[in-house]
Amino acid sequence: MLDIRRISTNRWWNKKKNWGLFIFLSFLFFVRISKGSLYKDFYYLISKPFWPGQYQREVLTKSVEQEFLIRLKQLEKDNKRLREILSLQRLSDSESISANVISRKTGSFWRQIILNKGAKDGVEIGSFVVGPGGLLGRVENTSLFTSTVRLLTSPESKVGVWVERIQMHGLLVGSGNDYPKVIFYNKDIDIKVGDFVLSSPASTLLPPNIPIGIIQSVDEEFKAKKTANILLLGKPQAIDWVQILKVEI
Amino acid sequence: MGKYFKKKISLISFLFIPIVYFWDPNWLEFLGVQPYWPLFWLLPWSMIYGSFNGLIIGLFLGLILDSLSLDSSFTQIPGLVLCGIWFGKLSISNNIFVGHFRFGLICSIASFFCGSLYFFQALIKYWTSDNLVLYLPSIKNIFAQVFITGLLAPLICSLLFRLFQKSKGRDKLISFIDE
Repeated sequence: MLDIRRISTNRWWNKKKNWGLFIFLSFLFFVRISKGSLYKDFYYLISKPFWPGQYQREVLTKSVEQEFLIRLKQLEKDNKRLREILSLQRLSDSESISANVISRKTGSFWRQIILNKGAKDGVEIGSFVVGPGGLLGRVENTSLFTSTVRLLTSPESKVGVWVERIQMHGLLVGSGNDYPKVIFYNKDIDIKVGDFVLSSPASTLLPPNIPIGIIQSVDEEFKAKKTANILLLGKPQAIDWVQILKVEI
Repeated sequence: MGKYFKKKISLISFLFIPIVYFWDPNWLEFLGVQPYWPLFWLLPWSMIYGSFNGLIIGLFLGLILDSLSLDSSFTQIPGLVLCGIWFGKLSISNNIFVGHFRFGLICSIASFFCGSLYFFQALIKYWTSDNLVLYLPSIKNIFAQVFITGLLAPLICSLLFRLFQKSKGRDKLISFIDE
């Protein structure tokens, strides 16, 4: 009788330590499977009191002159009408989603921001994110309350761009610092410092003609290619409010 | 409650590493680069619990941090695992000044090691493409991270080391091998 009791108390499930370890491993497994959704949603809840207030948003809105806005809207209307005639890709007619940046990793290798709008608010993977200045990146991951945006400066980011002055396409590649590079697969092009870079009209991922940056310096030619450093117009390290927009396919 | 918190301080602080990773305060930046946060926790923990525990917890940390970052092609696991093993073999110095300096130096070396491993993964991935040269500016990130990690390590690591050492006697739940 004594032996049976001793064996039964020695079973692994009777040890508190093993259960603790089991719960801990299950937690890690869950975090791994859910791609950190639990953490992102938890961070959303605890950082909520510290989000920037309404005032900051108003300052940003007021900074744009009324006259410029009216003119811009007229041009957008014209552009939309012409793109419809040509059957080209355009922005979704539905309203954009305003979101607040609740976490940012703009240094080192990991270049991403987390927004306070997620699947619950209708954010979809592949939507693109613009801030004051221009394009910031694309939504790569969503949880219930948050969405994670891969920035244009991330080494994994590759976006088709268009240089307006010379009417030339290029590929914008993040290089792990604040200045992504544009690769032009033609060494004879005449790019100059100060040229505007926009999203490519031929891109299948992004809507066309969204401002991205300005050419800051042009590198030496290398193997029939020309590369240039870009100064981004949208500054993810300083922006607190962004717009999430969908691409209509 | 307070007693329980003290007992489980290492486990609770482990669960908060991803929160600090998200938080990434701007005022702790150096050249736009943040310190490599997981090392601050891994160093004191591995020094107390040994190499094997360091290896396991390095693996777990890597798994969690990989889940939180978007770059699915690269992983932080090898760097953290090897650092966990290495930290476990180190002993604490009796001299308080030397001890603090050692925390800084060890974290700087480990940050350099982890950053380089991450960078080499990018180099290997883009080895065949002509775009390899584009990733060279990332070297600046590694050195900035080494500096800021080494600067903050004496402060954070020594604090965590004292906390973990106190809680060790009370709880052995998260030790993966019996000592």
